[in-house]
Order: sequence, then C-alpha cells, then structure tokens
Amino acid sequence: MQIYIIEAVLLIFLIAITCAVIFCKDILSAAIIYSGFSFTAVLLYLMMGSPDVAFTEAVIGSISTVFFVASLKTIDRWCK
Amino acid sequence: MKEPFGGLILNVAFRLLVPFTIVYAIYVLCLGEYSPGGGFQAGAVLSVGVLLSRLILGENAKFNVLGKTSVVLAGVGTFIYAFTGWLTLFGGAKFFLDYNYMPIHMEPQHEMHALGIFLIEIGVAICVMMTIINLLDAIVKRGADNGDVE
Repeated sequence: MQIYIIEAVLLIFLIAITCAVIFCKDILSAAIIYSGFSFTAVLLYLMMGSPDVAFTEAVIGSISTVFFVASLKTIDRWCK
Repeated sequence: MKEPFGGLILNVAFRLLVPFTIVYAIYVLCLGEYSPGGGFQAGAVLSVGVLLSRLILGENAKFNVLGKTSVVLAGVGTFIYAFTGWLTLFGGAKFFLDYNYMPIHMEPQHEMHALGIFLIEIGVAICVMMTIINLLDAIVKRGADNGDVE
C-alpha cells in the first residue's frame, strides 16, 4: 500500500514540475527545473523495476541540461 | 565556447571528478552484461568529461576533441560494429551477428558470445560519445554564427 502512495506522490510531483517549466519566465531556471523532472522520472523508473532505463535517463538528463545551458548563450535569457 | 564560464571552484571540481567518471564509464562498459548499463550509457558518461572541459576551460582545453575528428570517430565506432558482423558472416553464419561462427574459438560457447557483445559495445560507446560531442559542437557553432546577444 505504501509503495502506491509514494508512486502517486512522485507522479503528482512530475505534473507539478511540468507546469512549473511551462509557466516559468526565466529560461535558465526552466532548464534547471527540467533536470528535476528527469530525476523524478529516474525514481519512478527505479520503483517500476527497470534500473537500466533509470540509468539511461539519469545520464541523458544531465547531458541535456548541459546542452540547454550551452544553448542559452545564443538566445535571450528572459522570455517576454 | 569562446569565453569559458569557469572559476576556481569549477576548475577544481572538474579536475577531481572527471577521472572518476571515466573509470566508472569503463566499468559500466565492461560489466554491462551482469549489471545495468551497456554501450550507450558508457558512451554518454564518457562524453561528460569532454563536454565539461569544453564548457569550463573553453576552446583551448587540453582534454578535447576538435573539429571534424568527432564525425570521423563516430564513423569508426559504427565500423567496429559492422566489422564484428562481417567477421561472423565470413565465418559462415546464416545471419548478421551470429556469434557461434566467430573466427576465434573458445571452449565454452558463451565465452564467444561475451566477446562478440563486448566488441559491439565498444563500437556503440565510441559512436555515442562522438555523436554527443558533435551535437554540442553544432549548438556552439550556430551560436558563434549568429553573434552573442548579451
């Protein structure tokens, strides 16, 4: 029973992070919050019993955050 | 990256952390059969070192892969994958990557399977690492063409 509660909390957290990324005006903080989305997805994959997918998600989440921050040098940081 | 955003703390953290990530990537590559991990994950972890060195130390970093080298090495990784398949095909296999027909003979059959999968994963790791470095190259180069906004 407890594992379902933890899973439900993680899923609600995923939806909350997605709403935060959508409504964030600062693109740098949106990229950082998106890494939190990736970490929550890692925890969910671990609870569903697939450590392989979780490992891939962790690595690709960190690399995509690096990509977002690197591409921020070319565009404006604040969206109007 | 023309102007690196490094500092004392970032430089020291980079110097301390990157050797451990490389050792961990090789561990993931070699023990991918028994534990989570494999060629793709090992290549991605290997590329983190080069990405961080390019972001923190800038264009003239020592630990770097420059220019067209990344594309060429991605092709080399794909060639290693295909060459393993061709080895089995020339040994008389009926389909691609049938490890029983590799030219090296080892006594238990699954040793040959392990060697073939290891060769393939080396190729996949090199290809993934160089492709990720090439992606960063494309992003940074497009930014240099447009000119910085700030």
